[in-house]
Amino acid sequence: MAANNSPDKGTRNLVIGMVVFIVLIGVIFSFISNKSSTSAAIPASVSESDGYGIVTNPEVKPQVDIYIDYQCPICKDFEIINGGYIAELVAAKKIKMVVHPMTFIGVESILAANAAACAADEGKFLDMNLALFQNQPASEGSGLWTGDYMKRLGNSIGIKSEKYDKCVTDGDYVNWSRNVAQASADANVNGTPTVMVNGKELYRKKTNNDPKDEYMDPVQFRAVLAAAGVK
Amino acid sequence: MPSKSELIEKFFKLQPWLTLLSRLILGGVLLVAGGLKVGNPQKSAMSVRAYEVLPIDIANFFGYVLPWFEVAVGLLLLAGAAVKICAVMGGATMFIFIIAISQAWARGLSIDCGCFGGGGAIDPSETKYLSEIIRDIAFLALAVFLYRFPKGRFGLDK
Repeated sequence: MAANNSPDKGTRNLVIGMVVFIVLIGVIFSFISNKSSTSAAIPASVSESDGYGIVTNPEVKPQVDIYIDYQCPICKDFEIINGGYIAELVAAKKIKMVVHPMTFIGVESILAANAAACAADEGKFLDMNLALFQNQPASEGSGLWTGDYMKRLGNSIGIKSEKYDKCVTDGDYVNWSRNVAQASADANVNGTPTVMVNGKELYRKKTNNDPKDEYMDPVQFRAVLAAAGVK
Repeated sequence: MPSKSELIEKFFKLQPWLTLLSRLILGGVLLVAGGLKVGNPQKSAMSVRAYEVLPIDIANFFGYVLPWFEVAVGLLLLAGAAVKICAVMGGATMFIFIIAISQAWARGLSIDCGCFGGGGAIDPSETKYLSEIIRDIAFLALAVFLYRFPKGRFGLDK
């Protein structure tokens, strides 16, 4: 037995060593690839002090922070229910809107966030935001959203610019999307949609029968904004 | 009706195979659970934050490290290397999950456990705390068994 024992022990220790090594590399890679970077290119309408969100009407109060992932179906529901009203308020300069496109659902969320930022540089963020939700694939990570798709979507809302196409193709704002993710994490955003009015999160229903639901009941949503001074 | 000593003898004959089976189940589950999460540390960090137990920075840290930790323990259990230590680590992980899910349930949070790559705040109708807890208790039991009987078939440990 003794003769057999030592090579076996060697194999065992080698396996343990390899597993630990691979996993350490993996951990380090996870940290590095998701670190936010102060040198990341950011769109002109993005404010670092507002958590790297895309800002519309920077001088206005109250501030409405909207954390979404363009692949998130409930975010689409929120957009359908309250998006029209929000767009009205933004157009009338009654709120400062800060949209934080998070990217935790996957690669296509990064493509979408990048395209939204590219569109923001063309002054078309609101249209692109709506177009992304309107064209949200039926399932997450479907493979439908590609760089070419984002170019066509931009063209369809009237962006005719080589700069936009290049921005989408080159992924100019991919690094920025990590900054958004990091800042959203620091703001303790643990699900989407998360909406804050002047920094206070809307009430999310606690049970199915909870009558209070400031996200999906448009009357309650409007009441929150009214209480924050929107006339 | 076989006598008690016969039963014990039977158990010790079976035990190496039971150890192998436990290793394959617990190791496989950990490997899959970790593997589904390693590609998306953002989401993993979010699901740890959603338990609302740890400060944000520490929750993010665990979110990044936990999937890889699960992969490591899973691989070692499958290979049958350092089984006793892995049983302690796997069991401790399950124990922490059970506590974390229970407190989320008791506090009325609506979250997905994030065990297999989901996670974060979800609709109240989609929570399934009880089945998640029962499942983790079963895995904890396997870990306890492996701690008591770490030596089995086809393992690298000698």
